[in-house]
Amino acid sequence: MTTPTNRLERFALAVLLFILAGVPVALLGYQYFVRLALSPVRVIDITAAAPEAGGFQPDAIRVAAGETVRLRFSVPDVTHGIAIGPGLGIDIGHVDPGQVREVEVTFDRPGRYTVYCSTWCSPNHWRMRGTIEVYDPSQPDALPPSQPPDPALESLAARGINIDAEHPAETIPDTPPSPGRGAEITATHQNTLPADLFNPAWRQQHSPVEAWSMLVAHGMNQPDAWDVVAHLWTSSLQGDRLAQASTLYAKNCAACHGEDGSGTGPGAAVLQAQHALEHSDMPQAGKPTAFADPRIMLGGRSEIYYAKIRRGGMGTGMPGFGQIFTPEESWMLAEYLWRFVFVPAENRP
Amino acid sequence: MTRTRLLTLTPFVILALLVWLVSVPVSNRPVTHNIVMTADQFAFDPPVLRVNQGDTVRLTLQAADVVHGFYLDGYGLNTRIEPGVSRQIEFTADRAGKFRYRCSVSCGSLHPFMIGELVVNPNFPFYRAVGITLITVIAVLVYLRKFPPAPV
Ligand code: HEC
Ligand SMILES: [Cu+2]
Ligand SMILES: [Cu+2]
Repeated sequence: MTTPTNRLERFALAVLLFILAGVPVALLGYQYFVRLALSPVRVIDITAAAPEAGGFQPDAIRVAAGETVRLRFSVPDVTHGIAIGPGLGIDIGHVDPGQVREVEVTFDRPGRYTVYCSTWCSPNHWRMRGTIEVYDPSQPDALPPSQPPDPALESLAARGINIDAEHPAETIPDTPPSPGRGAEITATHQNTLPADLFNPAWRQQHSPVEAWSMLVAHGMNQPDAWDVVAHLWTSSLQGDRLAQASTLYAKNCAACHGEDGSGTGPGAAVLQAQHALEHSDMPQAGKPTAFADPRIMLGGRSEIYYAKIRRGGMGTGMPGFGQIFTPEESWMLAEYLWRFVFVPAENRP
Repeated sequence: MTRTRLLTLTPFVILALLVWLVSVPVSNRPVTHNIVMTADQFAFDPPVLRVNQGDTVRLTLQAADVVHGFYLDGYGLNTRIEPGVSRQIEFTADRAGKFRYRCSVSCGSLHPFMIGELVVNPNFPFYRAVGITLITVIAVLVYLRKFPPAPV
């Protein structure tokens, strides 16, 4: 039997349910459906969390070349930085928990890009990456082209050079060399010195020790020869490129390799703990290279450092940066490393 | 009559002048503090900084694990600290009091509790002022005792 009070009560209940369920449905519906339907561009919501908390979700997106998408990032845990590379120059900076930041992008050509975190947000920060696959709309099923072949890497492979091998220097300078003096000596002897030394491509494929031996064989005294090598090995990175390399190093490398190149950044301790557990068979595993140690560095070459930066280590804890840096950026970094042995600390930027 | 009254106050006036004019001991001159401040999850080391007003504080900030921030209340200083990259900031502690420094980058679950304290002790003029005030109070008490005001 329905009495009027009974009916009223049911009506009240209906109103209550309507409010309880209706408000969230309307809000969420607006956020996730209406807004997307109204928006002229496709909106992709991405959550960015520290790698141990899931990293980027979704961590792989497909976009057609020429299509404009709006990537909307929200962050549940700690401050992250969002950047997309290589070579796009997209860095939307820090995103704090609770904030939503978006960026609208159009990828012109098919290819693979990487969304990565640009803030050291956790000991595993450098694992925080996601991929953006840009496909050709006329052949949506074709795999996007991988990066164009890299002449430096192909050349290393062709010569059978193992970039993971240690390359200790047979000889090192007795006192820290002076690039300034080296520049003066070079200026006065320019015409009589071997021409190869002045070719940047030759220098990339030869170690400072090789160049030094050449100069000594040429009749130059040993300390002078080191000064000349110090000058030449630091000469191709100057001005803007030097400033850029220094920023890249501080943001991406100093946490492990140390700002002074001592290999003892805060990330080194974490790596060591992780590698003790993993029993990697590489001797350098878990030990970020000390770029300031001439014994370790001077037998190496820019091309080897370049290759290591792009490919990363084989389970050693050295991340690969080939998916987020352009070849040019990787060369700048490889050349920057020489400064830790050749430029006195007080003259570094 | 006025003479004796003046005589009663004279020692206090001399004392007050002494407190005001006596030369400052060396230890209270402004100094520069060079301090290495390490931020890790979720604390600053050192957690408390004590300086005297007028001192210069030169902080070398380091992050030992992830990115942290250093925000100093009252002085409006704010910096990000990337792990592995030390950062220098320098300021003059010209405001006395207790000021919190806190992490300004959300660095993890206990981030809101990442707080330290800068204590800036008031400098010498403050103690002189306290001394002079005390002397004045005592002088007034002694004076009133000796020469109670005539009942109205
Ligand atoms: C997470 C820690 C970590 C970060 C970040 C890191 N590295 Fe490394 N790196 C290592 C470790 C560990 C090694 C030694 C093992 C190996 O060679 O694979 C290494 C080795 C290297 C080598 C090889 C040196 C040699 O003697 O052949 C180069 C070059 C290098 N890193 C450059 C860089 C640059 C440039 C960056 C920044 C863009 C960087 N690394 C960032 C951990 C790191
Ligand atoms: Cu991150
Ligand atoms: Cu913090």
